[in-house]
Amino acid sequence: MSDKPQKIGQEAAAARPAKRGAKRDQHGWRETLRAYGRSHKASLHDSVGRLWAQPISTLLTWLVMGIALSLPMGMGLLLDSLEKLGGSWQRAAQISVFLELRLPEAESQALSLRIADMAHVADVELISREQALAEFQQQSGLGEALKELPENPLPALIVVTPKEVERAGLEALLSELQGLPGVAQAQLDLAWVERLAAMLSLGQRFVFGIALLLIAGLLLVVGNTIRLAIEGRRQEIEVIKLVGGTDGYVRRPFLYIGVLYGFGAGLIAWVLLAFGLSWLNDAVVRLAGLYQSDFALIGVPVEEGLLLMLGSVMLGYCGAWLAVGRHLRELEAQVQ
Amino acid sequence: MIRFEQVGKRYPNGHTGLVDVSFRVHRGEMVFVTGHSGAGKSTLLKLILALEKADAGKILLAGQDISEITHAQIPFLRRQIGVVFQNHRLLPDRSVFENVALPLQILGLSREQMTKRVHAALDKVGLLRKEKCLPQDISTGEQQRVGIARAVVHKPALLLADEPTGNLDPRLAAEIMGLFEDFHRAGTTVLVASHDLALIARMRHRLLTLQRGRIIGDGESG
Repeated sequence: MSDKPQKIGQEAAAARPAKRGAKRDQHGWRETLRAYGRSHKASLHDSVGRLWAQPISTLLTWLVMGIALSLPMGMGLLLDSLEKLGGSWQRAAQISVFLELRLPEAESQALSLRIADMAHVADVELISREQALAEFQQQSGLGEALKELPENPLPALIVVTPKEVERAGLEALLSELQGLPGVAQAQLDLAWVERLAAMLSLGQRFVFGIALLLIAGLLLVVGNTIRLAIEGRRQEIEVIKLVGGTDGYVRRPFLYIGVLYGFGAGLIAWVLLAFGLSWLNDAVVRLAGLYQSDFALIGVPVEEGLLLMLGSVMLGYCGAWLAVGRHLRELEAQVQ
Repeated sequence: MIRFEQVGKRYPNGHTGLVDVSFRVHRGEMVFVTGHSGAGKSTLLKLILALEKADAGKILLAGQDISEITHAQIPFLRRQIGVVFQNHRLLPDRSVFENVALPLQILGLSREQMTKRVHAALDKVGLLRKEKCLPQDISTGEQQRVGIARAVVHKPALLLADEPTGNLDPRLAAEIMGLFEDFHRAGTTVLVASHDLALIARMRHRLLTLQRGRIIGDGESG
């Protein structure tokens, strides 16, 4: 070590941000950037070491945050699945056109073709009286009793799938179908679709509210954890400030801790959701099968998972930033 | 190097820190500041470190007006100063090496540069062989020497010491003062606040005497 002291500002300038417009040579900038990089590396290393040194407490924090994150995210994914179910609006809005009981089959087929040619109709399916009876026998469990009937009481049916699902258009189509010769009755049931939409909207609001509360809770969890970490390092922070550490330097390891908490929590939430939804899906598929539906829950798409991770990391970062900012001001007063 | 121009400081509780204090310390000079407890020695050092703000007057450090620097500039000012505290303020969970390396870490020096500088500083204070020890595993005198190594490791132009021998026996205190003289001889400006008049009297340096916040003497010790 050379005994010669530096001139004021000589060495410290290496880590000092240049004033706007000041000319710095390239070497100076490179060294400043290197110093900055080394400082970040040291902070990250220090933060990982501190979390590693307290594995139980770190794991518990990750779990608390992960579970809290997985709840709104899981509910959101369930709603998405339900929306997809309700998203088959066209099927939901099918119009059942019951034909007159005595209408000959040839005329039924001709009527079916006529309806298929209509502008707002996407698809038609003719269910003959025999098919209708067979289905009814199968689904009602009254097979033997129905066989005793002297004649088939069921009319032929044309199931009309409209091109667009829009209430006014559907009602116009319904009235057009109703007026066709040979049609006994046309039925459209939009009520359950509207009910589902209303329930989904309510669910979305509920999930949004829960998500907001849980995000606030997570910020508090991170903030409190960081506060405890700051308390544990109060003496160190005071010394760092006395020997020339900037607020940024003091803040950095805590921000890394926040980010690491967020990262771990995001990962746990992703894993919990993936396993949880897969576990739930078995039961949902079985239930949907009983209703002749192929409905299944959506898993966690990779993009959503990555967004969850990003959001979680941001939460950790913001929580840490808020906590450190508040405590730095307190510490500043105490250093004096 | 340091210039105080009619500096005044009064604390919110009404206690007078400094009253109309003016003096100059030249580059490379070694100055003792003495006075009874509450005379204003610590206030004077705190003002130089920008730990406190003067209510009146100007404080210039190498031409830079400390009273006008912003909050963000304070750390860069402190990087130009080495500070030794009475209670040395070492971090108990860090080794001697890590304690001394702290100012260099803040500057973002590479591992090699840091090792070289820390070893040189520890060698200077005679503690190279204790670099792996924790502060609680070494004696009080050694702890103070680690504090000094930390204060000089980044080669500051100005070294401040606040009662650096307060907790030491006379032999260790003399050793510590000897170290300050070494740094002074190497060209560092040294300002030592101490009430140990007997120790100061044995050294021939400038002596500023404070009483109730005022300078009542500016001469040579001994």
